[in-house]
Order: sequence, then C-alpha cells, then structure tokens
Amino acid sequence: MSAEDSNPAATPTLREDTEGDARWMSLHNRFVSDSKDKEPDVLFVGDSLIQLLHQFGIWRQLFSPLHALNFGVGGDATQHVLWRLSNGELDNISPKVVVLWVGTFNYAHTPEQICGGIMAIVQVIKNKLPNSRTLVLGLLPRGKSPNLRRERNAAVNKLVQEAVASLPHASFLNVDPGFVHSNGSISHQDMYDYLHLTPQGFQAVCEPLHAHLKSMLEKPAEN
Amino acid sequence: MSGDEVNPAAVAKPVEDLQGDDRWMSQHTRFVQECKDAEPDVLFVGDSMIQLMRQNEVWRELFSPLHALNFGIGGDNTCNVLWRLQNGELDNIRPKVVVLWVGTNNHPHTAEQVAGGIHAIVQLLMSRIPKAKIVVLGLLPRGERPNPLREKNAAVNEILSDSLPRLGRAQLLDVSREFVHSDGAISPQDMFDFLHLTQTGYRTLAKPLSDLLLQILEEKPEERPVSLV
Repeated sequence: MSAEDSNPAATPTLREDTEGDARWMSLHNRFVSDSKDKEPDVLFVGDSLIQLLHQFGIWRQLFSPLHALNFGVGGDATQHVLWRLSNGELDNISPKVVVLWVGTFNYAHTPEQICGGIMAIVQVIKNKLPNSRTLVLGLLPRGKSPNLRRERNAAVNKLVQEAVASLPHASFLNVDPGFVHSNGSISHQDMYDYLHLTPQGFQAVCEPLHAHLKSMLEKPAEN
Repeated sequence: MSGDEVNPAAVAKPVEDLQGDDRWMSQHTRFVQECKDAEPDVLFVGDSMIQLMRQNEVWRELFSPLHALNFGIGGDNTCNVLWRLQNGELDNIRPKVVVLWVGTNNHPHTAEQVAGGIHAIVQLLMSRIPKAKIVVLGLLPRGERPNPLREKNAAVNEILSDSLPRLGRAQLLDVSREFVHSDGAISPQDMFDFLHLTQTGYRTLAKPLSDLLLQILEEKPEERPVSLV
C-alpha cells in the first residue's frame, strides 16, 4: 500500500498548535480517555459536522439511546482523523458501527486523494476493530450557489461509493435530503453558513441516518 | 489617545474566498439584505461566538423576543467585522442596542491592537447609530488549561474595562470567571472544543446579557446618561 505514502490525504498527520491553546490535542486526549472508560455501540468520527451534531437536541433524541460516542473535531481533514484513530481513539472499544464523516475540509487535495484518505481510515478501523462495520457518509454540498467545492465533494462521493461497494465491512450512505433547491441555492435555514447544519438541517439528515443505523445494528456482525 | 501608527486590527478587511465556495460574501450579502427588510431593536455582531448563539435554544427563548438580528460569522476578526459594518450591515437599521463580540480570532495582533480594533468598531457604531447603546462582550478564556491565549484575552478585557465606559454609551460585560474552575481547567460541558460554548455555556452567558439588554431597552430617554459629543 505504498501509494498511501505519496497521498497526503492518506498520511496520518497531527494538527500543529498554531493558535497557542493546544485545543486539538486536548480533544484527542479526551477521546482517548473516553475510549478507556466507555463502551459505545456506535462511534461517530469526523469533522465539525460530526462534532456539532453532539451539541443539538437531536443527539440526545436519536443517538444517545444507541450508546453512541462522538469523536468529531472541527476542521479536521482525512489525514487528521487518520492520525487520531491510529493513536489511541480506537483502543479498548468495540463498537458495532463506526460512522465516518470527513473530507469536506481537505481543501488542498484532489477527489482521488480525498477518497484515498477516506479508504485509509476505513482500513485502519478494519485493522483495529475487526468486528465493526464502517458507515461512510457522503459529503454534503456547500456554498450558497453552485461552486467548485460542490463539484469536488460530489466527485469524492462517487469514488468512495465505488471503492466501498466491494467491501463487506464498509458501506456508503448518501445523507443529502436534497439541500440544493431547483435554482441551485442552499438555504441558510438548513446550513447557517452554507456549510454547517442548523438543527433543522441536522433533522433532515439524521432521521434517515438513524433508521439506517438501527437496521445495521439489528443485523448480526459480519466477519 | 492612540499613536499615529496604523493599528492593523483596526484596518477594515473582507475575508478572501480561499475555499472556493464564497461563503463569507454570501453571508455578508444576506445580512445586508436583512437590513433592508428588518427593524431590529437589538443587533448582535461578531464572530462564531455570536453566530452559534443563533443556533442555540437561548436565542429563541431570550433574544429573538427582543427583535434581534444576528450578524455573526465564524472566524471573523476585528478587521472583518469593521469591513462588514462599513459595507452595508448598518444601513437602514436603528437598533437601540448593539451587542459586539469579536477579538478571539485576532491571532497576529497584540492585546493592545485587538482592544484598539474593538474600539474602532465601537466608534463606528456610535457615529452611524447615534442613539444606540453598545454592549461589548468580554473575550472568554479558551483552551483546556492555562495558556498564552487566555492571558491575551484577559489583557484585552482589562484594557476595555477601563477605556470603554469613557466613550459614554459603551460598556463591557465580562463573564470570563464563570468558565474557569479552581484548578484552572475549562470543562467541555461549557465549551465543547474549549473555545465554543455548549448549550450550558450559552445559558451561563445569556442570563446576565439578557438582564442587561432588558434593562437598557426599558430605560426611558431622560434616564440615559447624556453623552459628551
């Protein structure tokens, strides 16, 4: 798998403390500590879309009852999530499902590189948690009007969906309920900054996600 | 007051679209449009600390009923807020109070420069909306344990606590001490990433802020201190 060495999106990379308050490492350490103490059935891991989910009522309503843990960090790209999962966040836990949502912050990378990064994470999860299944969520469109970033995210989704199709331990779920209106615009009622979901936006994403998760949890684990 | 050197934190600057989806400008444009349609009594302006407030329960419970608008944009520093306010976000509105919360993202600037940037915004607000009262929220401590950014934010607040009241219609509301425990730690129950507030964190801030806003809004014109113009 030497191709990963030349793909920066698939090379575990920690985030340097450029601001001076060491928050990224504090969060990582807290997650490692949670892994020692807790026994989640579902682990959510990813960027700010995962992290923010934990702040709204919908988490308590839909995901707490599934015994879920949230290891989201705002701004994380695939290489950062890869580093975190390779450095303790998966130790001592055996969730049945890992929900992975990352890739929209990989600004410097091509769709192929981002897909490679996501697949590297899927592989790490398989190595560390042989009895878990990974559910990869599709990247949402972003920006008020059509733009390059939306095209980039759609290209990633297509590649990931293909890559995951042949794997017994992973699957892909498109969670976009149709955020882009017929005139090409996204509403601030769904994404308050045209990237991060409002509680209403999360509701539209999470109801089908929750239903899908429940059906996965009811199936026996595959080896 | 300050020297003649240009304070970089007081130079108006828009945010460049480096991500390729023009979100900052889209948000600014939306706010300018809101100024045409709405008649707010309270205007909230600043960075993600203001922006996220709009997504939390406290907004619907305590601030929306005051006829408030929220012009927060994540990542903004004083330069960006200054630019937005100079470029349409104050047009056609006459709020009675402006709540300003910005400065924690001014990474290249010293505490003195940040305070100067906040001052520049307050002075702009006072000149554009002559009757408005301005409530500046103190920069909160950040990071799980003591660190240089906490010291810097505290230094900004220290400068403001002294200089703001001299402007006549501005005051500082600083709830920083509510967030640091005796061992110096900040809890993720208050700040989920040791910077942004949880529901619980917002409640801690919202109560004194809401009380202050109600007090200001209920003041009769003759009770307001006469400002020296």
